[in-house]
Amino acid sequence: MLASRRTKGGIFAAATIAVAALVASALPAQAETGVTSSTIKLGITVPLTGAAAPGYNKIPGAMKAYFDYVNANGGVYGRKIQLVVKDDGYSPATTLSVTNDLILKDKVFALVGTLGTANNEATTRLVNSHSVPRLFVNTGFSGFADMKKYPTTFPLFPSYATEAKVMGKYLADNFAGKKVALIYQDDDFGLDAIKGFTTAGTNFVAKIPYSAFSQVDPTTAPKWVTALVAAQADTVIMFGVTSATAALAGAIYKAGLLGKIQMILGSVGSDGTTLKGLLGPLAPALAGTISASFLPSASDATDEYITLFKSINAQYNAGQVFDNNILTGMNTAMMTVQALRAAGTTPTRAKLIKAIETKGSTWASASLSPILFSATSHVGYTGYWFGKLGADGNAVSADGPGKYTLYSTDSGSGPVVKAAAARPAMPAKGLPTN
Amino acid sequence: MKHKSPLQRFALSIVVGAVLLLASGHIDELRAYQGAQIAIFAIAIASIVLLTGYSGQISLGHGALMAIGGYASVIAQIHWHLPYPLAFIVGTAIGALAGFLLGIAAARLRGPYLAGTTLALAVGLPSLANQFHILGGEQGLTFDVGTAPPWIGKEFSQYRWFFWVCVTAALAIFWLLRNLLSTRYGRRWRAVRSNPTAAALSGIDVGRAKVLAFTLSSAVAGLAGSLFAMLLGLVAPLAFTLTLSFTLVTGAVLAGVSNLGGSIVGAVVLVAIPELSGSIAAHLGGSEKVTSNLPGVITGVLLILTVLFAPNGPKLPHRKR
Amino acid sequence: MTIFLNTILIGLNSGAIYSLMSLALVLVWRSTRVVNFAAAGQAILSTYLGYEAMNRFHNYWLSLPVAVIAGALISALVEALVMRPLAKRTKGTPVEAIAPVIATLGVLGLIRSLAGMIWGNTFLQYTSPLSSMGFKIGHTTIPFSPQNAAIVIGSVVVMAIFAAIFKFTRLGLSLRAASFQPEISRLSGVRVDRMRTIGWAFAGAAGAVAGALVTPTMFLSPNSLDLLLVTGFVAAVIGGLESLVGAVVGGLVLGLGFAFILQYIGSSIIFSAAFVILIAVLLIRPQGIFGARSSREA
Repeated sequence: MLASRRTKGGIFAAATIAVAALVASALPAQAETGVTSSTIKLGITVPLTGAAAPGYNKIPGAMKAYFDYVNANGGVYGRKIQLVVKDDGYSPATTLSVTNDLILKDKVFALVGTLGTANNEATTRLVNSHSVPRLFVNTGFSGFADMKKYPTTFPLFPSYATEAKVMGKYLADNFAGKKVALIYQDDDFGLDAIKGFTTAGTNFVAKIPYSAFSQVDPTTAPKWVTALVAAQADTVIMFGVTSATAALAGAIYKAGLLGKIQMILGSVGSDGTTLKGLLGPLAPALAGTISASFLPSASDATDEYITLFKSINAQYNAGQVFDNNILTGMNTAMMTVQALRAAGTTPTRAKLIKAIETKGSTWASASLSPILFSATSHVGYTGYWFGKLGADGNAVSADGPGKYTLYSTDSGSGPVVKAAAARPAMPAKGLPTN
Repeated sequence: MKHKSPLQRFALSIVVGAVLLLASGHIDELRAYQGAQIAIFAIAIASIVLLTGYSGQISLGHGALMAIGGYASVIAQIHWHLPYPLAFIVGTAIGALAGFLLGIAAARLRGPYLAGTTLALAVGLPSLANQFHILGGEQGLTFDVGTAPPWIGKEFSQYRWFFWVCVTAALAIFWLLRNLLSTRYGRRWRAVRSNPTAAALSGIDVGRAKVLAFTLSSAVAGLAGSLFAMLLGLVAPLAFTLTLSFTLVTGAVLAGVSNLGGSIVGAVVLVAIPELSGSIAAHLGGSEKVTSNLPGVITGVLLILTVLFAPNGPKLPHRKR
Repeated sequence: MTIFLNTILIGLNSGAIYSLMSLALVLVWRSTRVVNFAAAGQAILSTYLGYEAMNRFHNYWLSLPVAVIAGALISALVEALVMRPLAKRTKGTPVEAIAPVIATLGVLGLIRSLAGMIWGNTFLQYTSPLSSMGFKIGHTTIPFSPQNAAIVIGSVVVMAIFAAIFKFTRLGLSLRAASFQPEISRLSGVRVDRMRTIGWAFAGAAGAVAGALVTPTMFLSPNSLDLLLVTGFVAAVIGGLESLVGAVVGGLVLGLGFAFILQYIGSSIIFSAAFVILIAVLLIRPQGIFGARSSREA
């Protein structure tokens, strides 16, 4: 069923691209949409209001701050980057409406960092039919790696399935013989993860699904704890969003089980600052919690990227506390600037996509994971390191500051490799020269 | 306005349709999309007008009924490989079935109790998508109706095609409903709304009339949901939230609730308000906290003012009853 | 057995909160025949004001009355500025029942956006000095903390106060009269308009208590009470909309029902379950558990 759908979508996408290409080639040469002699216009959709907004709404500001920094230092071949931010309230229908505005009215060159699985899915047809590059989408749904269905889309973050596979290996290495339970969101996010754990061969003493809709009900989490105790679990994997993660941490703490049940968090729900904000006086509940990340610790003072991003944040994004959301936004923006530079002095949408496919894997990025972009793969990061949350809520590497052990893999069934993390050095002053 | 015969109305629909469809060649893609949106909202609002304005029942759950229609269409396409016009009919029929079942329960309930029940439906139903694998979970199912058929012209954009489909569907629905409401069913529903006791005394089976109204209303909502799924290219729980249900009721009130023609005005306002408040907010500017919340403030104020100063919808010429 | 008792405690705690919100909706329904969706907005605004007061006084207990008074004032203002003129304009029209619902939705959206504008769409902490650690009985910690106790006690106190006002005071008598026989009350000298505003103010106070008590167990954001609006309304409908006792019973039915479903069936069907519980109750009693047998039209 899935296969037939994909083929159909693929044929449709291919056909529309062919038509678009024909139309484009018939037109006289002119400047690309969204690019003028002095500007490049990009667009992003993200929840700025509504229940899903807290945390995510810091990302566009961080991206703007980094773009402003680059603009102040000459821009991209003299062009200043503009970011048009649209609030979609996390509703796919609104995402489509505002993306129509971005593509048809604001006429952006490309979309960057658009957030949410169903939200990106809803704009796919529009994006494909106009061949708009959609860079570094903010979702871990593994489906977006399908280049036939999403020819202009580049997921940067590892998929949930990859993350679970990597975590399975980490558990086998460090938690052999423990009674591990899993709490997961009962949608594609959690089910993707279960796929990954199955590949890794992880056994759970209990698997507890929860509904994405019930996460705000304060009475849900105590019930998880009852179930964990009933299953005699001593380790729990939490594959959920931040609010659910905070609720679990709080409930374990309130039940006096801190230290008796080890929490291990997936990357989605592990933003320390947000967790601390959610937990308030219960923040000690996070002590000893292990989390998976692909970006370095936001508190790692020895990290050159972190140090630079912090100073940009202080200068161009005043008043915002530096956390994982800001780090994510700046890192995405830095990748974007390299992609725009690689598209050359007369950038087109086609050149931009080609540039990421051919050169993307060599670019500088704060992430400790290698980047796998190629002509046959649109998957970005595929690796994680594991660390314990420190007092400020940020994860700290067990290997000491600046040193990380990375578990990486491919997006398929390949093995998980454990190695010391290595990445390209940051360009001088964080200004790409690629 | 004079009483028209079904044939006259049919002719009117054809003329309006021809004008709109010809006009579609001269508007840009964005307007074509908004036109399609307006047509879908008009159908959905008409389904509420039918229910509330003509049979006196209140529903806060029509977003959920749209979801039922949308999901049914998509499943009909994916699993039964039906061409999409047939998938729309399946969506309409399943919507009717759901409405029939709900209507049986609803006929016993009055005002706020029905509102509460349908509200619980609107909140509960979308979460079912994560329960059954066939419904595709949180990321939903894609719905691909393809591009315009070749005979219609080569450079026919996707949105222009959607505009055609939605406008045609809307005209057909309005023509059908207008005719239906001038039959004895329409008269019965009006009687039930204005005075259930008197209606019962004069031999009308009030319960049956209400169930029928609910069934029909849900069928129309189901069609709106199918078209909505086409426009979005997918069905997903997040696309059919409580907010959608509330939006539809809002549109119905802006339409004047008992005025079928007003549905179109209500739909235009629903599409215009976010655009209007967005551009006002963009002009005013301010810090990010302010700009991101300004559209919400403006929408809230506009809604309150509209209800306060035009609570009965637009002053359209009312048909004689 | 322990699990069973724990489930009851969890259910009582959420039931108490649902009851308060349900009470806020019932008080408005009794006084003006309006389902007030702005209740969640009013409660969130009063909770933010309580949060501000706590930042100023550094004392949770002092911030409570601030939140409650603010809640009552906000609610009275909404009634006087929006609902009363609207009721006069729509009297006898087809939108009489439904236009007020839309107006309250407008107020809800307006307040939430204003809160976002002022305090940001971010998580804030409104903390209580009471521990959130569960009580210890022997070696086991039960899922019931001093703050949970405050929630239950606070709810009981609020309900007792309202019961006393309605049962024993002249004001309560006027409120009841204005709500059930407005025309006759007006003739016998009751100032019906004022009674309606007071009914709304009481409702706002109840919602404010709910917001200020439950927020320390979670977090504060412009949307953090949204879910409570839905559960409160469902609870009110189960209870029968007219009755204060019904509001409380409805809240407890829903709170305990949810807790047992969460414990024994699973959390993913929780909202479908709300629908099923509601349909089950209404099929047996279409007017809710404590509703009047032939309640007047909406």
